[in-house]
Amino acid sequence: MKWIKKCPTLMLLIGLGLLFTIIGIVGRFTIYADQKYDPVTMPILSVMFTGMNDDIYPWQIFMGKSSIPTAQQLPEEEQVMAVQESQETAATPTEGISPEPTMLPEQEDTAFEEEQLPSVSGNSVSENALPDDVPDGGERLQPLRKSTHEEYLNHISADIYGDAGVLRAASYAFDTVDESYFDDALFIGDSRTVGLRDYTDLSEHADFYCETSLTIYKVLEENFKGLGTVREALENNDYGKIYLMVGINELGRGTTEDFIEQYTLVVDTLHQLEPDARIFIQGIMGVSAKKNSEDAIFNNSNINARNHAIATLADNKQFFYIDVNEVVCDEEGNLKAEYTFDQIHLLGVYNELWKQFLMNHGVLGQE
Amino acid sequence: MVNFSSLEFLFRFLPIFLVIYFIVPPKHRETILLAGSLIFYAVGEPVFLTVLVLATLLNYYLGMKVWELGEGHVVPPWKIKKRKRIMIAAIGIDILFLAVFKGLAVFVDNELLPLGISFYIFKMISFQADLLRGEIWNKPKFKYTALYFTLFPQVVSGPIMRYNEGEFDLDRTCGTEQFEDGLKYFILGLGMKVLLADRLSILWNDLQMIGFQSISTPLAWLGAAGYSLRLYFDFWGYSLMASGLMVMLGYNFIENFNHPYASKSIAEFYRRWHVTLGSWFRDYVYIPLGGSRCGRKRLVLNLALVWLLTGIWHGNGLNYIIWGIVLGMLIILEKLFYGKYLQKFPVVGNLYVLVLIPLTWVVFAITDLKQLGIYLGRLFPLIGGAGVAVNQQDIFRYLENYGIYFIVGIFLCIPAVFGFYEKHKKNPIMIILLNVVFWLSVYFLSSSSGNPFMYLNF
Repeated sequence: MKWIKKCPTLMLLIGLGLLFTIIGIVGRFTIYADQKYDPVTMPILSVMFTGMNDDIYPWQIFMGKSSIPTAQQLPEEEQVMAVQESQETAATPTEGISPEPTMLPEQEDTAFEEEQLPSVSGNSVSENALPDDVPDGGERLQPLRKSTHEEYLNHISADIYGDAGVLRAASYAFDTVDESYFDDALFIGDSRTVGLRDYTDLSEHADFYCETSLTIYKVLEENFKGLGTVREALENNDYGKIYLMVGINELGRGTTEDFIEQYTLVVDTLHQLEPDARIFIQGIMGVSAKKNSEDAIFNNSNINARNHAIATLADNKQFFYIDVNEVVCDEEGNLKAEYTFDQIHLLGVYNELWKQFLMNHGVLGQE
Repeated sequence: MVNFSSLEFLFRFLPIFLVIYFIVPPKHRETILLAGSLIFYAVGEPVFLTVLVLATLLNYYLGMKVWELGEGHVVPPWKIKKRKRIMIAAIGIDILFLAVFKGLAVFVDNELLPLGISFYIFKMISFQADLLRGEIWNKPKFKYTALYFTLFPQVVSGPIMRYNEGEFDLDRTCGTEQFEDGLKYFILGLGMKVLLADRLSILWNDLQMIGFQSISTPLAWLGAAGYSLRLYFDFWGYSLMASGLMVMLGYNFIENFNHPYASKSIAEFYRRWHVTLGSWFRDYVYIPLGGSRCGRKRLVLNLALVWLLTGIWHGNGLNYIIWGIVLGMLIILEKLFYGKYLQKFPVVGNLYVLVLIPLTWVVFAITDLKQLGIYLGRLFPLIGGAGVAVNQQDIFRYLENYGIYFIVGIFLCIPAVFGFYEKHKKNPIMIILLNVVFWLSVYFLSSSSGNPFMYLNF
């Protein structure tokens, strides 16, 4: 009692610290099992706080694990079937970003067979875990392999598709368009798209539903400040083009499989809501060489692996894949240092390059 | 770990250290503190611990020579001369240490600057000067001297305490109430650093991300104000944590900030900003040079020298020197011409400080002179012209995102707020509030370090 009277702040601090520690320890077995925790540098109670960041609250301990919205599950069998232990995605070449315009769709099958890449056939899709209503016969590529457990643990995005999707998408002959083309366009994206909105005049033509830290997991639910959700936007407007660029924020989250599954769900949902709109899947913009070499998660090998995955969704009819890295990256596939201060975002003025790129990658004509 | 606002420090080093410190009998506490301080430094920079230890041994050895030559009732003139020579040699060696490592940092690699060297060398210089001047009354024991130089709460970034202020010879009373008091200062400082300064630093980062050429003029001014507040709460917060720790351990509170933004002149601002550095320059550079007692010409020269040194001390870029020169010029002008008017019309004085100081911080912040030119151009578009790809509406977005930090920050710049806190700090509501501040800070620290995909938001 004497202590409580003399140093109440300390006592309250210790009391709460103990309470949070107990919550952390108990929750570690259930709701906080997925939280990253390093016993050397972090107190166990910090998992309670990192959990809150993922919308996991202490009282959910009593509600069981099922109440947790988990987005990163690795199917057990994948661990068993782990392909080649040391699939070094870090060494993945960054080629494939540059288009190969000579490659015509007819050539695809033979070319892919030689390289032992997946065949583009409609019937293989049924084995995949895609929704039933895959549009246009669902010419979607299949992964070459599965992510390994090591890759998952080390936050390495496995390059499970190779560059087949990118090559197929790049075979499309895009048109040059003017700004009025974007009058019926909708842009969805993270802080990079915020830059495009704020520092080019595209926002005078198109609608922008973008927010810092947006992920593919939030695209459909997010309530954009002052605008509402994407769903509402599609219901209330008639868009001819939908541009999507997300994926950098969730680089450390889940596997390439988790990412592409959600991405597929999102583009298919967008297509369902606005069947006439062309959907432009934009490759995730790369980071600079400095960031690339220093960061275990936010690096270009992870970005390329995920771009390879989302590029496979392009059918060049309703879904298109375009990659702005062509104009903002150097030969090694790193964002040019002079275009960025923070190694991740384009400086305001250089968003113009992106805009010009989009104007050179329009799709005209009837479907 | 050398960062007070890190989980390692808060939940690993500090609690373990405190438990040991208070368990051992009081007479061993200084030894524990010395050991703890050396471990603290070694974890931060194991290699440069040797520099700190070497400088400590050397300064103690030379300092004792100075002391011994000054013992006795009557000190013969030759001894006085010799004392002075040794002291000058000691200070020369200290300056050489600092100059060599600063040089290495500028011309070779920034990594070669030992942690906290600017601060502990200044302590060593003041130690030698104080010995010679007889301002240290008892012969310093080695343990105390080493402790003074290496104290973990102060070794990284000050405050630059004087040896006397440590009161090393006195019996230390480490009462629970004093501990509680220190803890409160620590939490306040932690909150300022994590909840205000760290948030506001994202604003400055955003401006750099956009590129200065593309920010609107209102945003440029908001940025200057934001950077000023961020720097203030970063450093004041750090100083409160450092002094709070000292109080917890049973030492005196060392004041480093005394509400500088309530000043009415630049000179006054720097008497209240980083007080221990200002008084160090006053006592060991300005006054020995003659201060203001040797006529106008000499006064101007002394002030110019002090501020040039201040600029050089603060960093490795040319911009720091420009910053120091600009401040020196303003202070000289105040002393010679309009200083008394500023004091007479407090509102004018306040406005003068509130406009000019953020501008000087812009010079302090931007190390690239070309970028600095661009930023100043955006602040004064009539001179700097229009920017490139400027979004004229940007200010609203940033006000929306950062407005709350400006409101809280400006509120805390009012001296009366701190007076109110001092008066009511035992109130249960205040105690709960402090706990909220602490755990909210831990929340931010956890979510920005532990969770790899949340530590940055793009």
